[in-house]
Amino acid sequence: MKTILSGVCALALTASLSMGTAVAGTKIGAIFDLTGGLNIYGIQQNNALQLAVEEINANGGVLGEPIEVVSYDAQSELSKYTQFANTAILRDKITALFAGLTSSSREAIRPIVRKANIPYFYSSLYEGGACDKVTFVTGSSASQQMSKLIEWGVSTYGPKIYIMAPDYNFGTISAHWVHEYATRNGGEVVGEDFLPLTVSDYAPTLQKIQAAKPDFVVALPVGANQTGFLEQFAAAGLKDRIGIVSTNYGSGNQQVVVSPQAGKGIIASAGYFMEVANDQNAEFVKKWQAKYGTDTPIVSGAVDVWNAVHLWALAVNKANSSETEAVISALESGLSFDAPNGKVSLDSKSHHLNQNIYIAEGNADHGFDILVTFTDVPAVFEADKCDLVKDPGLAEHFTPES
Amino acid sequence: MDYFATVLISSLSSASILLIATLGLAVVFGLMGVINLAHGEFIMMGAYSALTATQLGIPFILAIPVAVLVTMVFGALVEIIIIRRLYGRLFDTMLATWGLSLALYQGAVLIFGSVSPGIGMPQINFNVGDYTLAAYPIFMILVAAVMLAGIYALLTRTVYGMKARAAIQVPDMARAIGIDSARTNTLTFAIGCGLAGFAGAILLPIVPATPSMGFAFVIKAFLTVVIAGPVTLAGSALAAIGVGTGASVVASFMTSVAGDLFFFILTVVLLRLYPLGVSAKWRIKL
Repeated sequence: MKTILSGVCALALTASLSMGTAVAGTKIGAIFDLTGGLNIYGIQQNNALQLAVEEINANGGVLGEPIEVVSYDAQSELSKYTQFANTAILRDKITALFAGLTSSSREAIRPIVRKANIPYFYSSLYEGGACDKVTFVTGSSASQQMSKLIEWGVSTYGPKIYIMAPDYNFGTISAHWVHEYATRNGGEVVGEDFLPLTVSDYAPTLQKIQAAKPDFVVALPVGANQTGFLEQFAAAGLKDRIGIVSTNYGSGNQQVVVSPQAGKGIIASAGYFMEVANDQNAEFVKKWQAKYGTDTPIVSGAVDVWNAVHLWALAVNKANSSETEAVISALESGLSFDAPNGKVSLDSKSHHLNQNIYIAEGNADHGFDILVTFTDVPAVFEADKCDLVKDPGLAEHFTPES
Repeated sequence: MDYFATVLISSLSSASILLIATLGLAVVFGLMGVINLAHGEFIMMGAYSALTATQLGIPFILAIPVAVLVTMVFGALVEIIIIRRLYGRLFDTMLATWGLSLALYQGAVLIFGSVSPGIGMPQINFNVGDYTLAAYPIFMILVAAVMLAGIYALLTRTVYGMKARAAIQVPDMARAIGIDSARTNTLTFAIGCGLAGFAGAILLPIVPATPSMGFAFVIKAFLTVVIAGPVTLAGSALAAIGVGTGASVVASFMTSVAGDLFFFILTVVLLRLYPLGVSAKWRIKL
C-alpha cells in the first residue's frame, strides 16, 4: 500500500513539476528570514526585493506584465527553506527564486531549484565557491573581498597579520584567502584563532594577539556575541597600536551596535556601503528611506538582492521570455547594470558579479567614511574554478583546499 | 611570565563573568528546585532595561538598579502567573520557562529590532609587562565577589533569608509556624530574576544587548549550576571558578574551541564522578 501511495505521490509531483515549468508567467518567489536570529539580514533582503519589484512594475514590469511576488518567512530555520522552496515551486509555480542568507541555506535550496530547473539568485556575501548552472550569486565572495583588503592592509599597516574568525566554513575559508593573499603581497600570518559562535569573552584571544605582535588583525566576527570582540579589543587599548580590518563588519549593521570609541577606525571592505557616492545610490537610498524610514542603515545584502532582481528582469526582457533556458542564456550574455554600488556585470562563466569593492573606515557616528574604491573586481577564485559555459553540468561547491 | 600572569588574571575575570551570569539561576534552582530556562532572557531583559535607561539620560551606574527592579517585578509576575502553578513538576516548569524564553526573545526583536547601539566599555586599561588588559572585565572579579557576599548576607542575616531557607528545606513545618511560603517563593524567584537582570546590566559594556544574547550565557550557566549541586552559593562559585578559569586558560594556550571542549568534557567527567554535583556531600548548606 505504502509503495503504491508513494508511487502516486511521485506521479503527482512530476505532473505538477512539469506543469510548473510549462506555464509562462512572471511570478517570482522570495524566501528570507523575517523572524529569528538572522532577521537582521533577512528583513532588509526582503525589503529590497519588494522595492525593486515595485520600481520595475512602475516602469512596465517584465514582458509587459507586472511581476508578482510570493513571499515566505524562513524563520532562520534551514528546514523552512527546503519546505518553502518546494511550496513556491510546486504550488505557486514561480519562474525564479530569490532566497537565502547563510551558505547552508543556499546549499539546502540548490538541489531543489536544480531539479525544478528554475533560475535561483543567492544574494549575500559568502565564503565563495558555489558553481551551478541555475544558481546566480550577486553578493561578493571571500576571495573577491580579501584580494583587495589584504593588499591594502599590508601596504597600510605592515606585513604581520593575525586572524580572528568564526569556527565554521565562512571563517576557515576566509582565513585560507588571508594566507593566500598575505603571501602574494609579502605579508605573513603570525597567528590565528577560530572561535565558536557562543564565546562572549575574548580575553584569551586578546592575550594571544598581544603575544603574536601583529601589525593588523583580520577580524571576521559573526553574530551578536562576536561583535563584543571589537568592543573588548578597543577597551584593552589595542586599537591604537594594531590595525583591525574585516570583510563582514557592517554587513549586519555592527557599526550601530558597537560604541563609537570601539567603532572608530575599524576598516571594513564590502561590495556596498550606504555612504557610497553616486547617482544610483542617492536615488536608491531616497526610495528606501521614503518607504522604510531612516532608522537602520542599508546593508550590503539588501543591495545584493536589489541587483539580483534587476538583473533577472533585464534578462527576462532581453530574452522576451521567462522560460528558464532563455533567461539563463540572457543572464550569460554579459549583462550589466548600474547599481547603487556602482556598475556590476554578471560573469557568464562563474555566475558571480564583477563589482566594486570599497574599503571604508568606521567613524565616530556609527557610520563609515569610504577610503578607497576598487572598480570592477572579479570573483577571483570562482572565475578560476568555475566555467558553466564550457561545462553546464557542473554542480559544485568548490573549496580552496580541493 | 608576563603572559602567564595576564592569562591568569583574565581567566579569573572570565570565570567571574560566568559566575555573575550564573548566580540568579543558582538561587532559583537551589532554593526553589525550579529550573528557569528563561534565565538567559532575563539577562537580556536586564541588558535592554539598562540600555534603555542610559538612552533616556540616566547614568550607567544608576541604570543598573533600574534593570534589577524591572526584572524583579517581571520575575514576580512570572512566578505568580506561571511558576506557582507548576511546583514539583520539574519538566512542566522547564517547558513553560522555555516557552517563556522564546516569547521574550521574539518580543525583544519586535520591540527593539535586531540591532541597538551599544554603550561601550570604559576605555581604561593597564599593563602587565608587555601586555595590556582592559580594566572593566577585571573589575568583574570584584563584582562577582561582592555579589556572592551580598547574597550570602541576604540569605543568612535577614528574616527573608531564614524564611526562604525554611520554606524550601521543610515546607510543611515552615507553613505550620506561619511562614507564607507562597509569598516567600515569589520573592525568591523575583530575586533570582533580579540577579539575572543585574548580570545583564553590569555585563552590558562587555556583551552588547541583542535579543539572542541569552543563548550565549544560558548553556554554561546551566551546566555550572548542575556541576555545583545542592550547595547553592559556595558550590556555584567553586564550579564557575574551576571550570570557567580552566576553560579560559586552555583557550589562551590552545584555541577557543579547545577551551569550549575542555568546559564540556570537564562537565561530563565531574558529573560522572559526582552525579549529584560536587557539593553533594558538603556539610555547609549555602
